[in-house]
Amino acid sequence: MSGDTALSGVTVAVKGTATTTQTNDAGRYNLSAPGNAVLIFSYVGYAIQEVPVNNRTTVDVKMESSNQQLGDVVVVGYGTQKKATVTGAISTISSSDLLTTPATTTSGALVGKVQGITSRSPDSRPGRGVNIQIRNMGNPLFVIDGVPYTGGSTTTTAFGFAQGSGQDVFNTLGLEDIENITILKDASASIYGLRAANGVVLITTKRGKRESPTIDVSGYYGLQNFTRFPKPATAGEYVRAIVDAEQNAGRNPALLYSPEELAKWQAGTDSAYKSYDYYKMVTRRNVPQRYISASASGGTQRSTYYMRITHLDQDALLKDFSYKRTNLQANINTQLANRLQIGAQIGLRLEKTFNIGVPGLDDYFNPFLSIFSMWPTEAPYANNNPRYINQTHNVNANPATYKSDVTGWIEEVWHGMNINLNAQYDLPFGVVAKGTLSYNYQNEDFDGMEYTYPAYIYSNGVYQDRAPGSTVPYGNQNPWREKHKRNVVNRYAQFQLSYNKILGDHSISAVAAYERSDYDNAYFVVHSVPSNNYVSLMNFSEQDLLTDTWGVEARAGYIGRVNYSYKQKYLLELLGRYDGSYLYAPEQRWGFFSGISAGWRISQEPFFRNITAITDLKLRASYGETGSEAGINAFDYLPGYNYLSGSSILNGTYVIGLRPRGLPITQLSWVMNRTKNIGVDIALFNNKITAQFDVFERKRTGLPAGKYDVLLPSEVGYLLPNENLNEDASRGIEGIVNYNGQVGQLNYSIGVNASFARLRSLNTYKPRFGNSYDEFRVSAVDRWSGVSGTGNDNAFGYHVVGRFQSMEEIDNYPVNIDGQGNRTMLPGDFIYEDANSDGIINALDQRPIGYPRGQNPFLSFGSVMNARYKGFSLSIVLAGASMQSFLRDVELKFPFQNTGNSPHYMFDDRWHRQDPYDPKSAWVAGTYPATRRDNTSHMNFQFNDFWLTNIKYLRLRNIELGYDLPKTLLKRVGTSRVRIYVNATNLFTIDNVSDLEIDPEITSSGGLVYPQQKLLTFGFNVSF
Amino acid sequence: MFLCLFLFSCKKDWLQRESKSLILEEQVWNDPKQITSLLANFYDRLPSDIGLTDLTDPSDGRYSDGRYTQWRNMADYDEGMWSGQSNQDGRNNLTSYATDRWLLWNYSLVRDINLTIENIEKLGTALDAPTKLQFTSELRFLRAFNYFQLVKRMGGVPIITNQLIYDYSGEASSLRHPRNKEAEVYNFIDSELEAIKNTLGNVSTNSNPPAASNSRANKYTALALKSRAMLYAASIAKYNALLTPSLTTAGGEVGIPAAMANGYYQKSLDASLELINSGVFSLSANPANPALGFYEAVTKKSGNKEVIFVKDFLTAKDKRHNFSYDNIARGIREDNLSSSSISPSLNLVEASDFLDGSPGVLKNKLPNNSDYIYYDNPGDIFQNKDGRTGGTILYPGSSFKGSTIEMLAGVMVWNGSTYQVVEGTQLGAVWGGAAYPTGDGKLLTGSSGPHRTIQEVSNTGFYLRKYIDEASLSSTRGVRSDIWWVWFRLGEIYMNATEAAFELGQTSVALTHINKLRERAGFPANSLTTLTLDKIISERWVELAFEDHRLWDLIRLRKAHTTWTGVSSNPASVVSALYPYRIIRPGDAARNGKYVFEKITAPRFRAPRFFQMQNYYTFIPQNIIDNNPLIVRNPLQ
Repeated sequence: MSGDTALSGVTVAVKGTATTTQTNDAGRYNLSAPGNAVLIFSYVGYAIQEVPVNNRTTVDVKMESSNQQLGDVVVVGYGTQKKATVTGAISTISSSDLLTTPATTTSGALVGKVQGITSRSPDSRPGRGVNIQIRNMGNPLFVIDGVPYTGGSTTTTAFGFAQGSGQDVFNTLGLEDIENITILKDASASIYGLRAANGVVLITTKRGKRESPTIDVSGYYGLQNFTRFPKPATAGEYVRAIVDAEQNAGRNPALLYSPEELAKWQAGTDSAYKSYDYYKMVTRRNVPQRYISASASGGTQRSTYYMRITHLDQDALLKDFSYKRTNLQANINTQLANRLQIGAQIGLRLEKTFNIGVPGLDDYFNPFLSIFSMWPTEAPYANNNPRYINQTHNVNANPATYKSDVTGWIEEVWHGMNINLNAQYDLPFGVVAKGTLSYNYQNEDFDGMEYTYPAYIYSNGVYQDRAPGSTVPYGNQNPWREKHKRNVVNRYAQFQLSYNKILGDHSISAVAAYERSDYDNAYFVVHSVPSNNYVSLMNFSEQDLLTDTWGVEARAGYIGRVNYSYKQKYLLELLGRYDGSYLYAPEQRWGFFSGISAGWRISQEPFFRNITAITDLKLRASYGETGSEAGINAFDYLPGYNYLSGSSILNGTYVIGLRPRGLPITQLSWVMNRTKNIGVDIALFNNKITAQFDVFERKRTGLPAGKYDVLLPSEVGYLLPNENLNEDASRGIEGIVNYNGQVGQLNYSIGVNASFARLRSLNTYKPRFGNSYDEFRVSAVDRWSGVSGTGNDNAFGYHVVGRFQSMEEIDNYPVNIDGQGNRTMLPGDFIYEDANSDGIINALDQRPIGYPRGQNPFLSFGSVMNARYKGFSLSIVLAGASMQSFLRDVELKFPFQNTGNSPHYMFDDRWHRQDPYDPKSAWVAGTYPATRRDNTSHMNFQFNDFWLTNIKYLRLRNIELGYDLPKTLLKRVGTSRVRIYVNATNLFTIDNVSDLEIDPEITSSGGLVYPQQKLLTFGFNVSF
Repeated sequence: MFLCLFLFSCKKDWLQRESKSLILEEQVWNDPKQITSLLANFYDRLPSDIGLTDLTDPSDGRYSDGRYTQWRNMADYDEGMWSGQSNQDGRNNLTSYATDRWLLWNYSLVRDINLTIENIEKLGTALDAPTKLQFTSELRFLRAFNYFQLVKRMGGVPIITNQLIYDYSGEASSLRHPRNKEAEVYNFIDSELEAIKNTLGNVSTNSNPPAASNSRANKYTALALKSRAMLYAASIAKYNALLTPSLTTAGGEVGIPAAMANGYYQKSLDASLELINSGVFSLSANPANPALGFYEAVTKKSGNKEVIFVKDFLTAKDKRHNFSYDNIARGIREDNLSSSSISPSLNLVEASDFLDGSPGVLKNKLPNNSDYIYYDNPGDIFQNKDGRTGGTILYPGSSFKGSTIEMLAGVMVWNGSTYQVVEGTQLGAVWGGAAYPTGDGKLLTGSSGPHRTIQEVSNTGFYLRKYIDEASLSSTRGVRSDIWWVWFRLGEIYMNATEAAFELGQTSVALTHINKLRERAGFPANSLTTLTLDKIISERWVELAFEDHRLWDLIRLRKAHTTWTGVSSNPASVVSALYPYRIIRPGDAARNGKYVFEKITAPRFRAPRFFQMQNYYTFIPQNIIDNNPLIVRNPLQ
């Protein structure tokens, strides 16, 4: 070989034979081959080359780095493997597939694209990620460039902001910085030991390639709209509903609204009877989202570099709320000496969220609340004069106040910095030593101020700023000023030895490593009560609160893995990890986790040679152990006293409380997870069709629970600590099929994928039941989880079997539905199934009517389609799900919730009397029961399958049409590639909640949440 | 080694981290500061049924929500109802009280106190004997207080005075203790208080009379607890026996022999008189404004000589609560998210007499019911009411925090033969303008309601005054309030003395004390000359409303099931409201523009209160019995 650097380890094989060798340190090789043979040169990251010998004795080859070939190598824990010889259940997503969705968070870009990932977007405000899980097992472990991020809480603060967890690091990566993502789902995750029970997401960022410098610039401009949001009733509908409700309550509606007034409200033509649309006032349409990114990458024989800067700017559909993020990534690798390489990945992020400082913690909530809290009959401004905010019945929900100069502002800034340093030294005999150090620092600065503001009632020609006789002005008199500071540090170090050897038909590779990591999250809040709206600097005299909280995590582990393959046909992988966590008492701290997986590439067998239709067929099976840390908090193994636990004012002086701790938790250890997976990989017709199918089970044993048969009297005053007692299992099946086709110049591919995964509770510690109904109702022994529990995990409710059609039917109905002889029932009310036929409806008639709420769907499916014709390209991503439940509650269930308005369909499409002023007029049927007010405990509103919907949806997640300008044209302007495209996200959804006007992925039962957006973007990529 | 070279200091054990908030055993027992901190934690955990905050203890896993105290419970009896957010509407629709409603089994606090007592003795080697004795006495007071909270809900409970230590042998039967008799628990409280009352300290003798701490236990706190506990024991002994059948268990865990009643009454009376005669405390009064005087007797901190024992708060140190934020009158709220959740009932208002001694039923109609009584001002109907009413609640026209509470439910328009009622759809609405073209442009709905349906507006026509903070911005989330919660005050001790003396036949002693309280409320001297138990109950209610007495008084006197009968036609079971209307009757000067009042069942109130026999003793949960089979069930369980 010639060139700048000699490459060692290049595999040189004689085509059609078993003869193979590798280049030595000087890049030289020796091999005997016939003069007419063809040599195959292969090396990870480089294009495979076939070179005819042509009777030469020296064949020099210059290896060319290659994009496509990387696809044949997958990143796995602590290394890479050839895709063909992988034995675990692994999904991969490439950079190009990620980018078909113009998502603002990494998790959003994963939706619908591979099997085994489930997703739900309960809250899609700018900057907020999607809930993704692997096989519905829980929050996965994120590993970025080999560094696991485990620390912190993935939930948001009461203000709606992230807390600096690994998931947040993942979500805020620059999307174009990601080279590929690998999902480890079975024993392949065992190498991550104690934290890998819920699967692992491995992210690799881009590296430069040994080629001439490339400069890329890309960008888009997009317009956002909500997919759906329920629309409030108009003033006419609202007033009529009040009249309805009064009539249904047996009162005279004319006391509140005379028929003439109702008619005027319904007509809406008189200016005094104007209807105000608070949905329009709170939200806006066609809100911009912008993205621009530029990168430079390239390399020489010794060094490669990759640098990118990305800026994302997303305005919210709520006026003046916005989100901005800038990412910087610099990845450098260089060959210091022949055997020594070093590299660095440096990432920076700057994230800014701006909210209007709406009273209440989460600024996003109140504007949505306003849409239904405000009456369409009341004006935002007194006398419609925009200088005077109207003191509406609930002025905190008056959108006229949602301006930063009226109510204030909140600025949330995250700075993130990540530095990874790697060094790799190639020892003789194929042993490679590698060290990695990583330091990740995240800093949150929250800065908010809420102002006092006046409001007015216009009455008799005067703008009154307070109630008669009152000294307290209208509006808001609650000034608020707060700063938060959070510093999060993740540290990580790893030392690794790896070995690769091919001995004839036997190939062996092994990895051994030691690593440790820790996490430190320090959080500080200062609050003051400012005496005016003008000065935002805080001062001590106005300060009244300081909280200081801190969290720590620390882990360490020894890692080992051996891969063996015979003729690349029989594959075996053994892995193990000895892992320790700070959570447990010293004697419970360390545990061993192991995994084994095997593969058989049947297609390599001689008897398979004749089956030409099957290009490749591999069977895989795996068994692996992982651990999860559950049911324990930091330092629970220590006895002692908790400081700052309660307090008292004793003789006028504040005394900090001190509380004796309960019994130390010394018996508890991690939960053991055992994952079994059987899979098959198939390629047909020369890779035209590829497919992968897996069945799996993850069984957890040792879930924490108390041993209640040790009858410790309650009078001892403490509880026995939890021990590892209960069991459950996640079971499922998943698959993906891809088809690559070509018709003339049209190249296309279609992929479909689906996953089903559901948790089943297996055993609880010595269950006890009072009777068989009790067992049916509460048992968690060998039944689906999330059915017999409480809260969102309770699916026991009433089954609606019909609706009362008339008062006569109610009077004669044999079953006592409301427990009060049906005297509270009206036509249109729900008839519940009397499941136990005892003539009365009560809790004993409840039965399972749905799935747990708020979880990711048990069944997910998706499809990725790509087509290319000359310069045109089309890509389509579909995503869908089923087996998830949504419960309508509050705003979507109770008329006039919060003394407010309701969705228009609830007031329109309801059972009602023809004439609201004639209590004898005929009933008219509708979808919703007769309108009632202040009666939330009515039998109609009990948990039943009218209010619970089992959601199914299929959405066009993305469609993108692109055009590459012809190369001939480009040469003249000095660019190598120019692509323009138009992309639409969430263009339409087919589902069963469209009549509720909600997005099918939300979980908020009142619908008051930021739904997903319909996004239309116009973008470009230019390469020089 | 490779790692050490770079970034990390080489910790001995990477996984061994140190907490920043743990205090170790050896740091506690010889440091009076840390022991005081333990006390601060224990004082903070004392349970009650209602209070100004919610007290929860999730670490006590025996309860689904670990809740000991809830201010919202004020809406659950007959003192008031819920007018706040509709998600708590169930409080107005309690068809019965749950059998575990008043469950308390907080042996976690008992354990922590026992642990502290034992460790001070064993490990507090550097503490001097008086310090040890003082701390131990204070801890024993807290324990006695807690046992009183237990016994009044559960009946007799196991009296545990030592740590019960489990040895992980899998066998814990040696730790089982049966329930003590109900009387034994009261006797234990009595003997403990007697044993410690002189060693409690926390009294400064530098002044004459001496000044006692009102936030740490002392001799007078012990006397106050004794006065109350012995009164409870006495009345249970007497009135449980009068029930047919009486509530008892074979082992005496529930039920106190009637013969013991007088002994307990005497102990209560003795304790009350010792406390009253000590001169350390005095009734706080304001003869010029009895309502203000009564309000300040409970809430005013500086120089308050009436309160004996409080749970104090301090805004400056972030020890504060949202009670004012949650319950401020609607029209004067300072924070646009605050609410007016608890609405006092007309029942409570009518329980207090007029100052001329006549019964307190408000006069809204002529005696023959033929017409309304027309008042010039909305507040006039309350004229000459017992000052405690105005000190406890705000009614139409009341003045508070420098503002007048504007309350009007609507107008009544005379159409020649009858009144047509018009009620506004919005607070502060005017009867006029486009919506009411025939209106006079004057007020239709008060800025403070009342309103039938708007939530966070009084549904009864009254607002709370007791415990609502007068300080500026105290009803905002940013500032909040540090009004204290009163465990004991002299007013109660007077009532205790009255009742015990009455039961012992010492009517003149009883009258002396009850009349002193009435004098403070604006009545002339010796306004009562005869007494009945029902009068004492109703005077206690008026005096001690919203101070966590009403429920327990009805329980210990076995009056709860006859008061809250679950029948809508029984006015005592229903929360009533008073709605003021403005009269529109042009041409009738005697009536036009005047105010009338309608007494109605509060519109949001749905189910009459229903207290059943099984509610007298809260059921003991099955898991407690499972854990200790020696625990016997309560009657009817």
